[in-house]
Amino acid sequence: MNSVPDLLGLAGALAQGNFPGPMHQATLLHYLVTSGLLFCIGLIGFVTRRNLIIMFLCTELMFQAAGIALIAFGRFHLNHTGEAFVIFVLTIAAAEAALALALVVLLFRRKETLDATTWAELKG
Amino acid sequence: MDLFVSPILLYSACTLGALGVALALPRRGISPQVIGFIIAGAALGGLFLLLSVSSPGGSLPNPNFYIFSAVALGAALRVISHPRPVYAALYFVLTILSSCGLYVLLSAEFMAFALVIVYAGAILITYLFVIMLATEPPTGEQTEALADYDRYSREPAFAAALGFVLVAVLSTMFVRGVGPLAPDRTGPDPDAALLPLMPQKIESALRAAKVIEADEAVARDASGRPLIDLAAGTITVVYGQGVRQIHRDKWPDSLKVMNVEALGFSLLAEHPGSIEIAGVVLLMAMLGAVVLARKKVELDEQAKLAAAHRHLTDQPQPGAAGGGA
Repeated sequence: MNSVPDLLGLAGALAQGNFPGPMHQATLLHYLVTSGLLFCIGLIGFVTRRNLIIMFLCTELMFQAAGIALIAFGRFHLNHTGEAFVIFVLTIAAAEAALALALVVLLFRRKETLDATTWAELKG
Repeated sequence: MDLFVSPILLYSACTLGALGVALALPRRGISPQVIGFIIAGAALGGLFLLLSVSSPGGSLPNPNFYIFSAVALGAALRVISHPRPVYAALYFVLTILSSCGLYVLLSAEFMAFALVIVYAGAILITYLFVIMLATEPPTGEQTEALADYDRYSREPAFAAALGFVLVAVLSTMFVRGVGPLAPDRTGPDPDAALLPLMPQKIESALRAAKVIEADEAVARDASGRPLIDLAAGTITVVYGQGVRQIHRDKWPDSLKVMNVEALGFSLLAEHPGSIEIAGVVLLMAMLGAVVLARKKVELDEQAKLAAAHRHLTDQPQPGAAGGGA
């Protein structure tokens, strides 16, 4: 835990009008924690919100979290497999958005509401 | 490895985050959303402080990471807590833009561009169109009213608790099992092996940097590969009838393999079949969307009644064309 002197050094450098020099990169852990938090926020939103459109927005949030984790892993291993995979995630997300939104329009026209609980009879 | 995060602090940050998210979600009765945002922000700040003091090497990690990550997570929280879908979609754009910042920090520039174009450009516009198409027209005097299903969320406390149990488990695994990010790309470039595959790029980069003259060209071997050996620092050049060898210790920066080129080789050489499949998936999705949206649906009896009712209540203004339904 020897980062307190670095904090002081940073404050000193800023006080002298210098921008801080190149600093240590964030570790893989930082990106994975961000990705996990984003995924869980999307999950919570998907479970709690009742508007169909916002539920689909929350799935996109979860896609985003997966993308950050994939790219961080690709950078960790210094190869491009993670990026290549994110391209396919983007493709699937675009296809899913087109289909899901067409479905939402269809459901809305049938019941004149976006409330997901009106379709509760589908759970059988 | 000196990554050490105190478990008690980590779990209390998770608990605080769960409390904040649960309060921030719209709910019945008194809804202390602002307090929820403040608590969730405090939890995130505590978590980041924990991560930053425990990062290896003792030096401060890149502050850009914390800025982008905090903006992404805050906007994501607003996506799930804003009662109006249009604003939720706009906050989603903010999340996308800040995760593009994270991608750039991870030196994945092409994916950052693609994300802005595909998500913030294409997908979000589709969302906005659907939000505007599928919104119930306001009836009578209550023009600003929110629908019930937008105002109240379903079991926010339970969902937040469950979600943050997942966060706690995931971050425990992360802290126990992952190492630091590979150091900056100062060593030999891992993509340098791709350079001989791009003779045109080599020639134009060398010409632009005035290493070779306009009437010279890089020599090729029998299979068309340019005779270039960056490790030894030599390039063989032909001009007119003669051949000469250039030796440099340092080549111009434009001779480096860029992210887009390396990603392109990786994509086309290693996953050619996946590209075809992705194309077919996209085509099928487009067909499916057209078929679904064209279909004429039978309205429910109740919905028909509601639409008729709305139409009738809109009647008093004969000047308004079309009515509400």
